[in-house]
Amino acid sequence: MPVVELSYSRLQKLIGKVSKKQISDSLPFLGLDIESENKDLVRVEYSPNRPDYSTDFGIALGLQGLLGIKTGAIKLNIKKSKNYSISVTPDVSKIRPFVTGIVAKHGKIDDKIIKQFMTMQEDLHFGIGRKRKKSSIGIHDLDKISFPLLYTATNKSHEFTPLHSEKTLSISEIITNTDLGKEYGSILGNSTKVPIILDSNKQTVSFPPIINASVTTVTTKTKNLFVEVTGINKNDAEDMLSVVATILQKAGFVLEIVHIFGAKNSTPKLEQNEISVTPELINQTLGLNLKTSKIISSLKKSRLDASSKGKQIICTIPAYRFDIFGPMDLVEETALGYGIQNLEPTLSPSQTLGQTNPISSELKSLSQIMVGVGYLEALNSSLTSKRVLYEMTNRETENILSVLDSKSQEHTILRDSIFPGLLENLSKNIHESYPQKMFETGTVFTLDDPVSEKINFSGISAHQDANFTEIKSVLQSVLKTGFDIQIDTKTTTHPSFEDGRCATVMINGNFIGIIGEIDSKIIENYKIRVPVVGFEISLSDSILESF
Amino acid sequence: MTQVFHDIERKIITSLRNNPKQITKTLESSTELSSDQVRRGIEWLKLKGLAVVDESKTSTISLGKNGLESFQKGLPERRLLDLLNNGPRKLSDLQKELGFVFGPAMGLARKNNWVDVTADQITLKNIPSVLPGEKTLRTIGGNKLSINEIDKNELSLLLKRPDFIVEEIIKTKEITLTESAKSIVLSDSSGAIDVEAKVPEIFVARTHPLKDTLDEIREIFVTLGFSEIIGNMTQSSFWNFDALFTPQDHPARELQDTFYLDGISAKKIATPEQIRKVSESHKKNWRYSWDINEARKMALRTHTTCVTIKHLAEKKPDEARIFSLGRVFRNEKVSYKHLVEFNQIEGVVVGKDANLRNLMGIQREFYKRIGITKIKFWPTFFPYTEPSLQTMVYNERLGKWIELFGMGIFRPEVTKPLGITKPVLAWGGGIERIAMLKYGLDDVREFYNNNLSWLRSVTKCQ
Repeated sequence: MPVVELSYSRLQKLIGKVSKKQISDSLPFLGLDIESENKDLVRVEYSPNRPDYSTDFGIALGLQGLLGIKTGAIKLNIKKSKNYSISVTPDVSKIRPFVTGIVAKHGKIDDKIIKQFMTMQEDLHFGIGRKRKKSSIGIHDLDKISFPLLYTATNKSHEFTPLHSEKTLSISEIITNTDLGKEYGSILGNSTKVPIILDSNKQTVSFPPIINASVTTVTTKTKNLFVEVTGINKNDAEDMLSVVATILQKAGFVLEIVHIFGAKNSTPKLEQNEISVTPELINQTLGLNLKTSKIISSLKKSRLDASSKGKQIICTIPAYRFDIFGPMDLVEETALGYGIQNLEPTLSPSQTLGQTNPISSELKSLSQIMVGVGYLEALNSSLTSKRVLYEMTNRETENILSVLDSKSQEHTILRDSIFPGLLENLSKNIHESYPQKMFETGTVFTLDDPVSEKINFSGISAHQDANFTEIKSVLQSVLKTGFDIQIDTKTTTHPSFEDGRCATVMINGNFIGIIGEIDSKIIENYKIRVPVVGFEISLSDSILESF
Repeated sequence: MTQVFHDIERKIITSLRNNPKQITKTLESSTELSSDQVRRGIEWLKLKGLAVVDESKTSTISLGKNGLESFQKGLPERRLLDLLNNGPRKLSDLQKELGFVFGPAMGLARKNNWVDVTADQITLKNIPSVLPGEKTLRTIGGNKLSINEIDKNELSLLLKRPDFIVEEIIKTKEITLTESAKSIVLSDSSGAIDVEAKVPEIFVARTHPLKDTLDEIREIFVTLGFSEIIGNMTQSSFWNFDALFTPQDHPARELQDTFYLDGISAKKIATPEQIRKVSESHKKNWRYSWDINEARKMALRTHTTCVTIKHLAEKKPDEARIFSLGRVFRNEKVSYKHLVEFNQIEGVVVGKDANLRNLMGIQREFYKRIGITKIKFWPTFFPYTEPSLQTMVYNERLGKWIELFGMGIFRPEVTKPLGITKPVLAWGGGIERIAMLKYGLDDVREFYNNNLSWLRSVTKCQ
């Protein structure tokens, strides 16, 4: 989950009459987990579905509602004018078809605000922008740009001075040589042309979704901003713009419209949306009996507008709350506004009778029987390594089931057998006293259509006098006691077992597993100084109830 | 009370009853035991509080080379005075007769005013009948004596003379019985053994501590009316993600968070109707082009929710309480707080009473049964539930609030496409975290290390 750093004193200024304690007590009930606190600073985790919480401006809006200081929906006041416009040429439609934007004027910008904008931008790019693929944002110094703008496609030889650079670079150079180019260049695919925003003097404003031009960099001297969003989906681009517009308005800027013309594009409306919900759904879902007026005031505390109309509550949703899909989301908004701490848990009697799965019961009994013959239960990962599964035990490596890009070398392959893990366990315990007897039951995996999962059972015994007779006695007695099953053993060979001391385990002529004395070379490889005997059988097919 | 004694102990006790204070040497001869047996026997009796050992140091005194010579011939000063008995003598003559003891003898004689020296004539003056040191010299003679038998002043005089006195320090152990040993009955009833002695440790076999926790949690939910279902750990992305309204470009679905099986896709993932409706819900709400090949990719389940949703989609019950308990996987770096594979419980309630307060009530009841009473609920976000909450529980040992189970009501975008019409309450979370609190562990890896020293020491009944 993304994290944002807040300052209590800044929040107090943004919210109005509120104590530090009120803020820290309320943050969790807005869905913000406090990760760490240090005097005036607090780091909170916010949900990826609430990009408006990526800045303290957005969190201040939420807290104002929850604390009842200012409630109801935030309305965007966008000044209408004809000063600003972007024309779109048809050749971008196959690369990155949509652009939208807004102008924000007369704001005060300091270092802290620039930092907030940067976190917001990063979050929007990573979250709803899907690492800039779906949509990306550029924030510019309005006064460095002459309108109208052109959103068009250009060749990779096009040159300009990008942000953080002192010299002019070509698009090709930016894509191959700069960090941002290398990271996001692939979004543009194999197209020979790339999107570009140019101003009326043919000066480059931005090369979306990679980098802005250096000339439009926002500094603490900037008074007026131009924000552009480009993307592959018009609604997503406008969603992103609505978050930025809401935050800029809260930050004290005056918004002004940017007209968009051409090639399926249009001027953003950033309109509120209406969704209706019944009080019955809210009360039924929450287990409450709230009056309509209480529901409406709760929704307003969640910074929405609501009014009753017949049996319905009509809810007005600001554009930046695109996480709200339908009535069920309004149930949650009501709960948040009402206060989760005010919901008293209740326990209703069960209408159903509980039951343990028969497989779990049988495995539990088997564990108890193994404990009865002196075996300690072990637990190993199902995701293990080639070394443990095959190399150390000389087992053949056909049809390995491996996972992609594991972050851990020790966890790359799904196990098809349990006893290699138990041998590995013995090798880690050579300084503990003997006898050492361990068992494990668990899932093993084999390639099928697509994957077959079976439950296996393995036991090993290591001590000075360990031998075949001992382990066969154990397995024979355990299966007799547990399942009234008689086993036979037939001579065989196996790369992990000593020749002449190894057998297949059979039930009524059907193979279920292997038993024997572990090959002395393997024991030596593991630096174990006593003989080891063991078995592994499949429980799924002939012993347990159908799985 | 009858205590059982080793033969050695019995012999030592008997000997000490006859002769209450003995040194080891005498005990060896009186008991006819070897010095090693006596040493061990005394050690045992000491541990049982039946014998006391007093260690003491004493010195013995005997004569050295010059001391012996003086014992035989008289002290040098005595020999000088004897030579003067018959009148004054010449210094040079005396020097010749006495040799190198003349110097020290003259020194003493003049200092004590026994002689007069004029020119080279030496004349006897007053002489005591016994000179200092003579008595002690005679007392010691050729013997070794304890330092206590000798006059201390005289000894210190003699000690100043080179090679006169040899002092040896001797350590002795004196053994006596304690009061309780004196009255003890030395039973010799055959077959009795020392039941109070320490015995070798044996290690009992046991089920794995984490399994015990899993069983405990399973039992709690069964008694709360839930039935257990089991499902595969390998799942198609369709059931792990798509059916749970997680868009295909969602960060959680990326390789760095989820384990995908290399080169393995499922041919049949769901019914055509399920696939159609789920994909429509994605296209409409998330606005992207849904790709069935993404849904076919086989993954190691990232939660057990895929098992319950599949079950609900198949059975469509009007009323149900079910849960699934098992391993889930995350592609994470292994650390003291993260494993790539851990256990999760996931439960759902379907029915007319399915509301958020009841969901919270089930959680509270569960925590109460595992001994956690200080809990609170916070809002949170999951892609497939709305509203969504998480439980915070207070841990006394760590002195802080810890996040445990997440919960919520399945979104209509999840249930509707799968034909589930009743509200579904869902909750779930990791088991290892609960087990860590129970066993006081700070490193989650311990559960899968199979470290015998831990498994053999952890208390079973807690």
